[in-house]
Amino acid sequence: MNEEALIHDAQAGSLDAFNALVLHYQDNVFNTALRILGDEDLASDATQEAFLSAFRSITSFRGGSFKAWLMRTVTNACYDELRRQKRRPSVPLEPESEDGEEIDSPRWLADPNMSPEQRAEADEVEHAIQHCLNNLPVEFKTVVVMADIQGMDYSEVALAVRVPLGTVKSRLARARLRLRECLQGFSELLPATFRLEEGTST
Amino acid sequence: MNQRDLELLSSYLDGQLKPSDSARLEARLSSDPNLRAVMNDLREARSLLRRLPSRKAPRNFMLTRKMVGQNPPMPRAYPAFRFVTSLATLLLFFTLGLNFVGPQLASQAPAYGQGGGGGDPEIFAAEVPATEAPAATEAPAAPSAELVPLPTATLLAEDSGRIAETPAEKNGLSDESAQPDAGQAQNAVPFVPSAWQIVLAGIAAIGVLLMLVMRQLAINRWRQK
Repeated sequence: MNEEALIHDAQAGSLDAFNALVLHYQDNVFNTALRILGDEDLASDATQEAFLSAFRSITSFRGGSFKAWLMRTVTNACYDELRRQKRRPSVPLEPESEDGEEIDSPRWLADPNMSPEQRAEADEVEHAIQHCLNNLPVEFKTVVVMADIQGMDYSEVALAVRVPLGTVKSRLARARLRLRECLQGFSELLPATFRLEEGTST
Repeated sequence: MNQRDLELLSSYLDGQLKPSDSARLEARLSSDPNLRAVMNDLREARSLLRRLPSRKAPRNFMLTRKMVGQNPPMPRAYPAFRFVTSLATLLLFFTLGLNFVGPQLASQAPAYGQGGGGGDPEIFAAEVPATEAPAATEAPAAPSAELVPLPTATLLAEDSGRIAETPAEKNGLSDESAQPDAGQAQNAVPFVPSAWQIVLAGIAAIGVLLMLVMRQLAINRWRQK
């Protein structure tokens, strides 16, 4: 895929060129939205909204990392979605049973290629991580999702969230520490391969 | 653990420190177990996040032309066709409405006059020959159908007899039988001739068809680009 040529054509109004970029980036964008929002339906809506917004404003892209530019768009879409949720808190982000307890293995975590044991194990780890991510302040969550889940470097993250490099470093460090503290509460749920050593932090 | 050390450790894990800063931090790590413990915590959290499986997008998020509000470029004549078709359609409905409502309003007007004034015998009598005139002119058609020539004197005598009888016959007619005749005469002549309506309907139908064809051709051309 010649990304530069596709971006150029998309800036000239070619929807086909833009859709080629959508196909290339849709998994990344969806995963980012999913980890920030913690809900598949909301993440789908935010992803679609992000691509629509990206197409409308693609002429404002002036080069550099297209992925970072796209991540900024999806981050904005997620912030909008979170603001909407705050105004109309109707559906809980975590699925709950009738007595108000969270269901450990929601359907959106399921992967059909895994055996039941693997799936149960992965579900528990993933659920624990998502739970801890949901408890982070959104600005910390965004940075940690981009750096540690999307594998973006600091400058890309800074570009995507429009904050200085120093702020990215600070938020990332604090987010990792908070996540570690939160995940200690799930140490019994985590399988041996993922289990963290307790009591290492001060 | 201060904030500065936390940031240093986090950046060190990502290889974002300068070599000199890395060397200084490594020296501190070898001598400070607390610092080492925090670094392990950060590393484990980072490791867990990186092991998080990547989800496939549940569907394609490709945009459609409708979603982005893009329309195929239409030929220059398209707006003119749209205008003419719309105008013809509007006029057609207008004439249909006029032909439907017009006679009803017209038939109501004399009824109000008759009811209010009680009917002036002189005016009524004056109207009679006008309505009966066609009957008088149609009368000679019957003898001509028989193809038997009659003497001119006989015809004149019959005609004068009929003319003399007409007022008497008309006076014998009731108001109820006269009124429907007048209404039928008005219904028989619509405000807008049917020919005009047929022409307007034809223009509207042809316009719609041409617009559909032009639109389809434009979409096909657009998709091929």
